[in-house]
Amino acid sequence: MSRKQTPLRPYFEKMPEIGKELREGEVRRSQENVALVRDQEKIIAREVERVKNAGIPAEKIHQRGGMTIYDRLEYLVDVGTWCPLHSLYNPTDNEEGCTGVVNGIGRIEGRWAVIIGFDNKVMAGAWIAGQAENILMVTDMAKRLNVPLVWLTNCSGVKLMEQETVYAGRRSNGAPFYRHADLNHLGIPILNGIYGTNPAGGGYQGISPTILLAHDGANIAVGGAGIVGGMNPRGHFDAETARALIDGTRSFKGKAPGRVETHFDQTAFFREVHDTEQGVLDGIKDYMRMMPAYDPVMFRVSAPAEPRLPAGDLDMLLPANQKRPYDAIQILARLTDNSEFMEYRPDYGREVFTGIAKIDGFPVAFIGNNQGIFPGYPEYAKDEYPGVGGKHYREGLIKQGEFVTLCGRDNLPIVWLQDTTGIDVGDLAEEAELLALGQSLVYSIEQTELSMMCIVLRKGTAAAHYIMCGPQANNNNAFTLGTPLTEIYVMHGETAAAASYARRLVKEEDAGNDLTPVLDKMNQMIQDYQDKSRPAYCAKSGFVDEIVPLTELRSYIKAFTCANYQNPRSITPVHQMLLPRIIKG
Amino acid sequence: MPELLAPIAGNVWKILIAVGDTVELDDEVIILEALKMETPIYCDDSGTITEIRVKEGDAVNEGDVLVVIG
Repeated sequence: MSRKQTPLRPYFEKMPEIGKELREGEVRRSQENVALVRDQEKIIAREVERVKNAGIPAEKIHQRGGMTIYDRLEYLVDVGTWCPLHSLYNPTDNEEGCTGVVNGIGRIEGRWAVIIGFDNKVMAGAWIAGQAENILMVTDMAKRLNVPLVWLTNCSGVKLMEQETVYAGRRSNGAPFYRHADLNHLGIPILNGIYGTNPAGGGYQGISPTILLAHDGANIAVGGAGIVGGMNPRGHFDAETARALIDGTRSFKGKAPGRVETHFDQTAFFREVHDTEQGVLDGIKDYMRMMPAYDPVMFRVSAPAEPRLPAGDLDMLLPANQKRPYDAIQILARLTDNSEFMEYRPDYGREVFTGIAKIDGFPVAFIGNNQGIFPGYPEYAKDEYPGVGGKHYREGLIKQGEFVTLCGRDNLPIVWLQDTTGIDVGDLAEEAELLALGQSLVYSIEQTELSMMCIVLRKGTAAAHYIMCGPQANNNNAFTLGTPLTEIYVMHGETAAAASYARRLVKEEDAGNDLTPVLDKMNQMIQDYQDKSRPAYCAKSGFVDEIVPLTELRSYIKAFTCANYQNPRSITPVHQMLLPRIIKG
Repeated sequence: MPELLAPIAGNVWKILIAVGDTVELDDEVIILEALKMETPIYCDDSGTITEIRVKEGDAVNEGDVLVVIG
């Protein structure tokens, strides 16, 4: 008789259970909090709907017999696996209300991929401001997770009226062509379904991926046929030249270059041509089935399981009032398989928790901020002040650094649950080496090849937002999520206003002046900080890659985990892992 | 008689009940303020508030009795 099992069963099959069910009274008193969470969710949902309706109405595309980018994604992606990203990203406040590309992570034919397509309702998929950065974030993600990049190209090229915002510069819309070359060089395939007319920038967008599949009405070319007049020698237009332009346009009968007759029949750039839009997507599905992907059995340490405690509790557990503490382990218990967690050094560095959990049966590391007040801690300040949750102290920074290093050794992807107000400050903190220990954590992260995802549960503040795998401070962050309660800023508005205007207040008072104008400026600054740290603003500005309802966080964590284990570049045999042994002792 | 104690030193920021009120397990009765944080104090039993030993703005030490529930 054959016998089979998951590896290191005594460590992983049954890990310590965490969290407890909410009592009736806790549910009762949390209803106001749920309402506040819903308010923010509604704001985000309204914004997402606005972006989805950007450009011409979907009905117009449907009347022409076409599909919108959203129709294409729905047809392409396995049901229930789509995790949209950058939905509200629009850092330059484009009049289009978006950056003209739609992207996220999802599964196609059972394999995870980073997927991006031009929104063909928005100026036929034109290059518009902010789009290049959006695309670069997506290519970075495919590189980090080592999964295929799938493009749905439908790109009319530069929005000519605003060419200066997209064409030139180090991170302009030309950068994705080189990024595609970079991904190919690294062995990360890019599949490209091509629709519509794709001249110039659209042509290179079309040609640069690995495998090209085209709709039979599609074309890709160095330049389009639309420039009928060419250069105007007079340097301006008048009635006479306008007449010539009108006549030329009316009589123009040329076809766009780079059609299927050329790039399938002659050059054979296109691997496939399909007479339906769905056919192109079916072709992508065929190629996705060829993509390298381990069976999950290779890396699972247990059967997948949902959390024992319900995700719906999260809306009650995470206080909308940013001054309220909460039990971070109760949050974690709604995210991990079976609500289990093997904690690393729980008695050391109490302001943070570190440890191993399972997500969909795969081992994953978690690091997050504990909340509350810790009398007698940190040791270096025990006679001066107590520790406060969300802050970082010496022991917590050392613990995080050593845990990250061990995760690197054991190849455990890390999920960071950030709710931080900063690193402790003052002479005692400096003597305790916190400046160096914060940077040391950045160094520890950078020394690993791990993929990480960051969730800013509530506050992302000061350097602590950086050192806890913030997207700006490492090469490892695959993506960052915010929640309906996220606030990201360098410091609280009141603190910033005091820092900026305290000396001015002294001067005004010494001069016998009315303080009201300065106070007005201070209060305006507080309001400005408030307005520019809200979830929708964070998403629009790219502080986070998406704002996600608390109840959907686990879907993204699963997507991150499964993508990470699909085709890892480096493997630690589970039975050779150190961390589970260190934790168990 | 059950007593609700201050878990930390701080200032009494808000008192949400009055003597004679009926309270249930997990009801929020007092909010302490310390270190820029609000620490809510919840009932750990049901009953009637018989005594409130603090007033808003008072400084309390860890272990001080805040409220008595009968």
